[in-house]
Amino acid sequence: MTVLLPLLLVLNQAGPAPAADDGKLPPSLEALFQEKDKEGKLILGDPERTYLKKLPPHTRELIGKDVDALTVGGARHLKALLALELPSQNAAILFSDNCILCHTDPESQKKIHLFSADPKATQSSEILNLKSFVSDVHFRRGLSCSGCHGGSPANDVMTADIAARWPKADVRHTDRTWIPEFCARCHADPAFMRGFNPSLPTDQLSKYRESQHGILLLQQKDSKAAQCVSCHGVHGIRGPKSRQSSVHPQAIPETCGRCHADPKYMAGYKKDDGTPLPTDQLASFKKSVHGKALLEKGDLGAPACNSCHGNHAAMPPKVSSISQVCRTCHSQNGTFFDGSKHKQAFEAHHWPECEKCHGKHEIMKPADTLISDARDGLCGSCHAENAKDNPECNATARYFRSSLLELVASGQKLRPQAEALGERGLDAEPIVASIEELNEAIVQTRARVHTFDRGGFDQGAKLGRDAVAKSEALVQAARNEQRYRRNGLLVSIGLMSLLAVAMGLKIREIGRRRARASQERQGP
Amino acid sequence: MIEAQPEAPASFGERLYRWLDARFGVGKLVEFARHKEVPVGGHSMVWYYLGGTTLFFFTVQLVSGVLLLMYYQPGEATSYESIRYVTAKVPFGWLIRSIHCWSAHLMILSLVVHMFSTMILKAYRKPRELTWLTGFLLFAIALGFGFSGYLLPWNELSFFATAVGTDSVKSVPVIGQWLLEVMRGGPDVTINTLYRFFALHIVILPLLIVGILSGHLIFIQVQGMAHGMAHQRPDRPGLRFFPDFLLRDLLLWLMCLIVLAVLVYLLPYGPGIPGMEWELGKKANPLAPAYPGIKPEWYFLWVYQLLKEFPPHLLGMEGPQAALLVVTVLMGIWALVPWLDRRASRGQPSPMFTDLAIAAIIFMSYLTLKAWDIGGHGVPGKLPDPRSTAWACAWITLGLASVIAVLRLLAYRQRWMYFSGAALLQVVLNGILGMDYLIAGGIALVVAIGGLVVSRREPAPQMGVPR
Repeated sequence: MTVLLPLLLVLNQAGPAPAADDGKLPPSLEALFQEKDKEGKLILGDPERTYLKKLPPHTRELIGKDVDALTVGGARHLKALLALELPSQNAAILFSDNCILCHTDPESQKKIHLFSADPKATQSSEILNLKSFVSDVHFRRGLSCSGCHGGSPANDVMTADIAARWPKADVRHTDRTWIPEFCARCHADPAFMRGFNPSLPTDQLSKYRESQHGILLLQQKDSKAAQCVSCHGVHGIRGPKSRQSSVHPQAIPETCGRCHADPKYMAGYKKDDGTPLPTDQLASFKKSVHGKALLEKGDLGAPACNSCHGNHAAMPPKVSSISQVCRTCHSQNGTFFDGSKHKQAFEAHHWPECEKCHGKHEIMKPADTLISDARDGLCGSCHAENAKDNPECNATARYFRSSLLELVASGQKLRPQAEALGERGLDAEPIVASIEELNEAIVQTRARVHTFDRGGFDQGAKLGRDAVAKSEALVQAARNEQRYRRNGLLVSIGLMSLLAVAMGLKIREIGRRRARASQERQGP
Repeated sequence: MIEAQPEAPASFGERLYRWLDARFGVGKLVEFARHKEVPVGGHSMVWYYLGGTTLFFFTVQLVSGVLLLMYYQPGEATSYESIRYVTAKVPFGWLIRSIHCWSAHLMILSLVVHMFSTMILKAYRKPRELTWLTGFLLFAIALGFGFSGYLLPWNELSFFATAVGTDSVKSVPVIGQWLLEVMRGGPDVTINTLYRFFALHIVILPLLIVGILSGHLIFIQVQGMAHGMAHQRPDRPGLRFFPDFLLRDLLLWLMCLIVLAVLVYLLPYGPGIPGMEWELGKKANPLAPAYPGIKPEWYFLWVYQLLKEFPPHLLGMEGPQAALLVVTVLMGIWALVPWLDRRASRGQPSPMFTDLAIAAIIFMSYLTLKAWDIGGHGVPGKLPDPRSTAWACAWITLGLASVIAVLRLLAYRQRWMYFSGAALLQVVLNGILGMDYLIAGGIALVVAIGGLVVSRREPAPQMGVPR
C-alpha cells in the first residue's frame, strides 16, 4: 500500500496540465471598466466582466484590439454589444467585423445607420435591430454585412465598392426587380450553396420567375409584388424550422396575409375572370379545419397557404389541378372519387372536384348530416339543379347518411357503457379497443362516401357494423360477469349472515347459561 | 356386588391433548385461557373490539398480499402489466386486489380509532406503557406499509405521489439529501425505487411487524385488557374470554368481512376520494409532466396540508423543514404520553390528556378537510380557492367540535377543554376570520399554555367524578 500510494500520486500528476485561464482582460479593455456616465456611475460592471471572463482568451484579445483601434468606441458601445450575450463563436464573428462595430457605435453613427438592440429606444429603423441581425441564419454561418453590401469586414473606412452591387438608393427603394437576382447570386449557385447547406434547393429563382409574384415583378415591373425580402425579411432571416421565422408553417398565413388580407394593398389585382382578388382568405383559413389544426392545435402537418399554392412558385391552383393538390394529403378520397360516377360528371361541367362540395379556404370539418337529398342538403341542392328525378341517387344518399349516423350513434352509446363497466371494476379495455376499431371504420366509411356507390361504401360500413357487433358482445359478456359477481356476493353475504345469526344465537345461549348458573350460585 | 364399570376409552381429541400436554405443557395455557377475562363496566365494551378488528384486517392483508404476490412481477416492463393481468385475466384477481386495497384503508381506520380510544380511556397508563409504545410503532409501520405499497402498481398516480412524498424527506437537516437518495435508490424516483419499496413492503416491514405485533399481543395477554379508570363506574365481574368474548370478536370479524365484500363489489376502485382511490389508470412515465392534483393517502393528508400552510422560510429554517419539525415534536409527544400523563399513571382522573386527544382530532380534521379542498370548487375548471376552502372546512370542523363538546359536557361532565378550545380557536381564526394559519396557531398555542397554567392552580379533580 505504501508503495502504491506514491505511484498513484505520480500517475495522477503525469502529463502536462493545461494552462489555466486566469480570465485576465487586456489593459485597454480593463481601462473601459473605469469609464463613468454623466452621473458618475461606472458604465461596465460585474455582469460584463463575468461574461468577458467566460470568453476564450483569444476573443478577449480580439476585443482588446478593437478597443485599441477605436472600432469599439467606448464603454457604452461595449456594454451594448456585450448585452447580446452571444456564444463565444458568434462573439468572435461580431468583434472581427468592422462593419458591425462601426454601425453599432451610438457615438459615431447617425440614427438612420445605427444598429441597436432596441431600435425604438435609439429611434432607428426596425430593420436595424441588432438582436434580430445576430440571430440571422447568414450571420450565424459567418456571412456578415459585406456578403450582401460589399466591401470587407476588415475595412475601417467606407470604400467605393460598398453598395456598388445595387442600384442607386433613389432607384432601389422604388424598383424592387433587382432583389430576386441579387439573392440568387448565391442561392441559385449549387456550388456555392453546397458549402453552407447542401440540402437547400437552388431553384428558387427559376420557380419565382414562373410564379404570379415573379410575373408581376419581373415582367410587369410591379414592385408591389412579393419578392424574397417580402416574406423572408432583410436582417434577421431565419430558416423555416425556427418558431420565430416569418416562414415557419404557423407564421405563413400571417406572412401571406400581410399583403393578401389588406384590401388597400390588393386593390386593383384581379382574378383570371376579371373579378377583384378577394382579401378574405386569411380570415376564412383561420376558421377552417386546416387553420384550426395548424394555428390552434399546433399540428405542423396541417396545410398552410404554401401547401396548396406553392411557395417560390406561388400560383393559384387551376380547376384542373386543385383536386390533385388536395390529393397530396387526402389521397384515398381522391382515389375513390376517381373511380366514381361523379368523376365524369364533374369533368363535363368543368367543376373543381373537392372544392365543389368542401369549399377552399373556409373548408369545415365535414358533418355526416351534410349528406342529404333534401333541397338544401349538399347532394340534394346540386342534384336538384343538374340531375333531378334520380331516385337511386337519393336513396344512396339517404343510405350513406343513415348508415354513418347509425355507426356514430352506436359508438356514442357504447363508450359510456364501457366506462360504467370499467368503474364497476370490470375489464373494459377490450371494449374500448373494439370501440376504437369502430372509430377507425367510421373514418374509412366516410372516405368511401367518395365512391358514391353502395358497394364501395359498404366495404367500410361492414367493418363498422362488425365492430359494433363485437363491442356489443363484449359489453354483454362484461354484464354477465357483473351479474355473476353480484350473485356471488349475495350468496356469500347470505351464508355469512346465516353464520352470524348462528353465532349470535350461541352467544345468547351462553349468556343465558351463565345467568342461570349465577342465579343458582346466589341461591333463592 | 357391584361390578366395576370399565373406563370408557379416551377419544382421539383427548389422547392428542394428553400427548401434547406431556410434551409441551399445554395444560397451563388452557388453564390460563379458561380464567382469562375481559373487564366489564367502566366504559363501553366497543373499544375492546377495535384491536381485534385491526388484527382481522391485517390478516386479510397478509392473505390477499400473498395471493397478489403469486402474480406480481416487479420491474419496469412488468409491474404495471402484471397488476393489469391480475385484475383483467386472473380469476378473482380483481377481487383480491380490491380486497387488499380496501382492507388496507379499513385497517388504518380501525387502527386510528383504536389508538384514539386507548388515548381517551387512558388504557396506556401504568403498567401498559410498552403496550402503547409497541402500538405506536405498529401504527408507524402500518403507514410505512401504505406508503411502500402505493408505488408497486407503477402507474402514473402512484409514481408522482411517491415522487412528491419522498421529496419531503429532503427537509431532514444535514442528511436530508442522503436519506432521499437512500429511499429512492438515486436522486429521482426510478425503477430502483420500486425495487426498494417492494423489498420494504414484502420483507422488511412484515419482519418488523411480526416482531412488534408479537410483543404487543404478549403484553396484552400477560397484563390483560385495561380496566376502566377507578373514578369511572365500578367494575362488574369480567366477561370470560373463551368462548364469550372470542365469539363476539368472531361475530364482529364476520360482519367486517360482509362490509368488506359489499364495498369491494360496489366500489372496486375505492370511494373516489383523493387519497382513497386505486384505479390502475395509465402506466407511469417518468418523462411525462407531473400528474395534476397529486395527493397522498388520506392518513397523510394532514401532514401534506401542514406543509402547504408553512411559508418557504420560517425562523431561519426552510418551510418544509419547520413543518417536519412540528410533526416530529407532535408525534414524539404522542408516543411518550404514558410517561407524560403522571395523573393517569397514579390512577387519578387526567382530563388534560383526554382533551389533548380531542384537540388532535380537531387539528387533524381541519387540515384533512382543507387538503380535500372541500368547499373550494366554486368555479368548474379552475383551481380550488383556498379562502373558500378554509371557510367551509372551518365551519364543518366547528360543527364537529361542537357536537363533541356538548357530548363531553352533558354525557361525561367534562370541563377541561383548554387544548381543544385552543385548536378550535386556530380553526376559527384561520378559516372564518382569514388570519394566517401559523399566526392563528401561535395564538392558539399561547391560549393552550395559558389554560395549562391556570388548570395547574385549580384543585385536582375528585375521585368519582367522571372526567
